[in-house]
Amino acid sequence: MASKRFILPRRTFLQGSAGLAGTAALGTSALGTGMLARPMSALAQDKPEEIIVRVWGGAWGEAMRSGVADPFTEMTGINVRFDYTEDNEIRPRIWAAVDQGRVPPIHVNWDTSTNATISALRGVTVDLSDLPNLEGLLPLARPVGLEGYPLVNTYAYVYVCAYRPEAFPEGPPQSWRIMLEPRFRGRIALYDDGIGFNPIAVIAGGGTIDDIPDNMEAGWEFYRQLRENEPLLGEDPDFTTWFQNGEIDIACTISVNARAARQSGIDVEWTVPEEGCKVDTDGLWVPRGLPENEEYWAKQYVNFALSREAQAAWCSALGLPPVYPGLEPPEDLVGDPAYPTTEEDFARLVSIPSPVLVENQPIWFERFNEIFQG
Amino acid sequence: MARAGRQSYPLTWRLLDIAERAARLVWPRRWKRQVGYLMLTPAVLLVGLLAIGLGYMAEYSLHELDLSTYRLVEEYSLVNYQTIVDRPVYLRVFWRTLLAAILVTLFALALAFPYAYLMVRTSSARMRKFLLIALFLPFFIGQVVRAYGWLIVLGSEGLINTALGALGLPRLDLIYNYPSVIFGLTQYMLPFAVLMMVPAVAAIGEEVELASEGLGANWMQTFRHVVLPLARPGFIGAGIVVFTLSLTDFAMPEILGGGTSDFIASSIYDSFFQISNFGLGAAIAMVLVGIGSVLAAAMFILVGTGTLGMTGGGRDTGR
Repeated sequence: MASKRFILPRRTFLQGSAGLAGTAALGTSALGTGMLARPMSALAQDKPEEIIVRVWGGAWGEAMRSGVADPFTEMTGINVRFDYTEDNEIRPRIWAAVDQGRVPPIHVNWDTSTNATISALRGVTVDLSDLPNLEGLLPLARPVGLEGYPLVNTYAYVYVCAYRPEAFPEGPPQSWRIMLEPRFRGRIALYDDGIGFNPIAVIAGGGTIDDIPDNMEAGWEFYRQLRENEPLLGEDPDFTTWFQNGEIDIACTISVNARAARQSGIDVEWTVPEEGCKVDTDGLWVPRGLPENEEYWAKQYVNFALSREAQAAWCSALGLPPVYPGLEPPEDLVGDPAYPTTEEDFARLVSIPSPVLVENQPIWFERFNEIFQG
Repeated sequence: MARAGRQSYPLTWRLLDIAERAARLVWPRRWKRQVGYLMLTPAVLLVGLLAIGLGYMAEYSLHELDLSTYRLVEEYSLVNYQTIVDRPVYLRVFWRTLLAAILVTLFALALAFPYAYLMVRTSSARMRKFLLIALFLPFFIGQVVRAYGWLIVLGSEGLINTALGALGLPRLDLIYNYPSVIFGLTQYMLPFAVLMMVPAVAAIGEEVELASEGLGANWMQTFRHVVLPLARPGFIGAGIVVFTLSLTDFAMPEILGGGTSDFIASSIYDSFFQISNFGLGAAIAMVLVGIGSVLAAAMFILVGTGTLGMTGGGRDTGR
């Protein structure tokens, strides 16, 4: 009788060796930022060919590409494909996929913190509490009003008062109330859902921050007056087109858009008027329902986006203050009030917690709509 | 002998014979009476899918949104429909949309008829080809691209205002308002109206007009008392198509309206995507479907189906 001897199949040997080598490599990884402890099943060969990240277009997507996606691909070999579906439009698709037990259409969603909070309330996000790079981030990174990290905030941004200098020979607008002047009739732009301006409208209308959200009447009255001046309502690409074509003189828009317009040669500047500007955050989240290995690498992507290297490159390209502490602002934004870095800077701005926005934004949108669709 | 005969048939005949034999394998002769049902099956499937979708929308519309979980509550209610009634903005937007659909239909019919008449009556083949190409060319360009094109022409730094400025005239606000939406929609709907109008005009024999003129009627009298009544099915068909398409349009009001001339399709979009209230969005959609269906049905009952009917143009159908 032949003796039984243990024969290690070559395939198993190769798999085990790769796993050991991968684990050792990760422990001293050039990523230098620590990675998630990998579940036993997520061996090196379980890397997906690609992960899909939802992004905004234009300067936003370019910054994500150069700051996070390309370096991530270089380090992991995983291709990062961008999905440019609008944040509002991808949301029901993800929700439906999760509810129906299907694989969601993306791996990572780059979203506004408010929208991400809504998805978290719905229970469609993966907990990110175990990401090593959460350590040491500014408190801004933590989502407000939620347990753990169903999303992680990645930077702050300001809805500035962007203007055409040619239309303001007297200097930058000192107050948002300048929008009510007849000379700007038809030459003002706001986001078509009032986002970024609703709380400011209250202050510009004579109210205070304490009136938000229970007494917004000063804001609605300000909107009624503004309605007489026939503002244009649109989205980010509309603002760029309108400034480019000389259709508008003043707008409430995100500083990234104004900066990108200026960098592409459009004559636009921005300021923070005396009433202040709304400051908010964007974040990243991973939807439930992904295959185990893809969820792992999606979380790795988010983890890398929180690293010093990625935060410096990504947020510098965007021109936005990161959640990673101690990073210098881009040269053109040093001292810019739309690039808050200190407590004093943030004190000039208006911050509304995500839970308040989540609860009230639909109501504010309906009032905004009622006034401007009249 | 027979085989030699069949081999001398044209190729197309022989191919059709093969096709017929293959069809007989799939659908035997004894099922001949059911061929009509077979032809109807794709349409029934398509309409059935639409009906199922509408059913889902109707079901969604009966559930309110819970803002703490952003899910629709299980209980059925008419809260969403009550919201539409209670909020003046929805009634305003419905009225704006309806008015626009009526105006666009009237303008499109007024412009489409002379175009269709010329295309049918012209004796010049070159002119007919030119009119056909001009009619079909816009179909190669999507609605969004055409809307952006109007921004270039009508914008404050656009072609028209640049020309006005060169002449020392003041600039005009030609865009981002309700009239610009009507204008853009009329331009978009014109080819549809012409296509529906042509069969009706073509069915009017030229000899009928000649007979009218022969009996002493001038051109205007012939046009008013002979041509227009006989072209009525074209007006009905074109009117129904343009009206229903305009009522449900999204892109033109979004791009040309400046955000303050939204149509009801925008309200549906906003409900679904801006505030994630699927129940309210579904309710608005159901109301829109209801209004459109009632108006179309009323037109069919009162004036017939026109060139939409299968009995052909040139005759009053549907009564």
